[in-house]
Amino acid sequence: MTTTASARAAPPTTGRAARRRTTRRWLAGAVAVLLGSLVLSVFVGANPVPPSDVWAALRGAGTETAQYVVWGQRLPRTLAGLLVGAALGVAGALMQAFTRNALAEPGLLGVNAGAAAFVAVGIAFFGVTSPAAYMWLALLGALLVAIAVYAVGGAADLRATPTRLLVTGVATGAVLAGLTTGVTLTHPDTFDRMRGWNAGSLLERDTAVVLPVLPLIAAGLVAGLLAARSLNALALGPDLAAAQGVSLVRTRLLVLGAVTLLAGGASAVAGPISFVGLVVPHLVRWGVGADQRRILVGSLLAGGVLVLLADVLGRIAVLPSEMPVGIVTAFVGAPVLIALARRRRATAL
Amino acid sequence: MALVVAACGSADSDPASSVGDTRTVEHARGKTDVPAAPTRVVVLEPVQLDTAIALEITPVGAAVLNEATGVPKYLGDKAAGITTVGTVQEPNVQKIAALKPDLIIGTESRHSALYAQLTDVAPTVYMASQTDPWQDNVRFTATTLGGAGSADKLLTGYQQRCAEIAKKFGTAGKTAQLIRPRDGVLTLYGPTSFAGSTLECVGFTTPQRDWENSISVDISPERVLEAKADHVFVTTVDVNDRSTIPASVSANAAAFPRLHLVDQSFWITGVGTVGGQTVLDDLERILAASS
Repeated sequence: MTTTASARAAPPTTGRAARRRTTRRWLAGAVAVLLGSLVLSVFVGANPVPPSDVWAALRGAGTETAQYVVWGQRLPRTLAGLLVGAALGVAGALMQAFTRNALAEPGLLGVNAGAAAFVAVGIAFFGVTSPAAYMWLALLGALLVAIAVYAVGGAADLRATPTRLLVTGVATGAVLAGLTTGVTLTHPDTFDRMRGWNAGSLLERDTAVVLPVLPLIAAGLVAGLLAARSLNALALGPDLAAAQGVSLVRTRLLVLGAVTLLAGGASAVAGPISFVGLVVPHLVRWGVGADQRRILVGSLLAGGVLVLLADVLGRIAVLPSEMPVGIVTAFVGAPVLIALARRRRATAL
Repeated sequence: MALVVAACGSADSDPASSVGDTRTVEHARGKTDVPAAPTRVVVLEPVQLDTAIALEITPVGAAVLNEATGVPKYLGDKAAGITTVGTVQEPNVQKIAALKPDLIIGTESRHSALYAQLTDVAPTVYMASQTDPWQDNVRFTATTLGGAGSADKLLTGYQQRCAEIAKKFGTAGKTAQLIRPRDGVLTLYGPTSFAGSTLECVGFTTPQRDWENSISVDISPERVLEAKADHVFVTTVDVNDRSTIPASVSANAAAFPRLHLVDQSFWITGVGTVGGQTVLDDLERILAASS
């Protein structure tokens, strides 16, 4: 296994075994925390239904209120939160590995801005009102803008560095964000409706919104995991990676395809949710080290945990109302990022 | 100086008194002499526009909530030709000056910073706050435009109409709740809101809850059953589009047997007696159809 990438740090064999044990423990811990988050997400919410009623509702009995709260509200949004968190975590990890930049996040490719612009135009000019319709518009916007950015930024051109792609993505994102702001400022009704979408929310994200996106996010996760080994090689620099027989074009297309599907799918379900894609990979690298395969799996788990816990917090923060999950992730994410940044080793790529 | 302070201190019932062809109005910024019969009025607040139209004093200019939509349609054809002078949040002083008004009415809580500029253009009076009870704001605006008698005429007409509807449909003892779906959460309007007070005016009771000293309270869709009432009104931009009913309400259809979609352009933003009468027309039609 010459391509094993922890070669980057080249630790001694005994250290590597210890590392592996730590990683295994860390991943097992992450699975346990994720299961705990899932339980919390079903049992805790803005309506203080007693746990016994929730349990009864889960088994098909219980009061009418509990039935609705569990099956109509909490289970669909738990699925949505899990999906969005996993997608954003993996998309963030892929972006940071691909650009070899610790500050990269999925939004840099302009995917989120494209989704937002399409939603704004749809609301302002085509009278779109339902979350399901927002989802399709956001998905279309994310995919079209991603394709445009990749074409202009030279995604398939080997001489082009990821930086060129990022600059194109950031520039396109800025133009589209300007367009969105222009549309919403001149159409206050649109501004009113966009406010909820822009904050990033899991409210009213029922199966009609989540199910169509599910296969796209699943495809994105598979593509991302397929790229993991090449990304390990890429960490040594493109020349060394090529010397090891890694196809740079294949890696690039896999990563970009995955990020587009994951970030686009997540935006389509919940709107832009900040900080998850940026923070989660840092958190995970601190626990599992530099191997991209472990980082991607860890980010998948930790992303789900972060979004689910942030959503649970948002449900009980401003009773009897709710705070959108995107606002909570920004509140929670920023301090976590600062804390991690202060441990230099933790954030090193 | 002492005299002025003493005069301000008295909580007199009629803040305006006629002096020749001007009237002195006591308002949020002190006292101002305004024309007794103003002809070129600019209003900066929806309730002021509604009240001016109710008194058949069509303003030459009005700030609107939404420049794309312009003057609300419920105000009728006469109002449709009014020049817009920016938004309620950000009125455009240059556009106001270009209309050469003889009276400007604004709101201290929103337009405080513009007062000096506006008084250079024309006599300007400020209502205290748009969050005060709407009937007080109608009274202030009507008194400014046409004296105390005008205010009584408008508000009495509205209350009489309420009493007629209450009697016709036997609303006493029944409950009603207005819901505005917003960003996935549900905004419930209380008895002090414009539409909520109109529902109470026709004899309905708003279901009890803690209104947190506000006109409305947001609730999570998990708590949708707290919005149950004998009649539930849901605001929308298109009353014929049943898909605009929030998912949390339609998923609990059995709990909401009498559910009515109503137009938010006057149920929410139609603050004033013209808007109030439009809501009453709508209520009368809805209650006739559902009884």
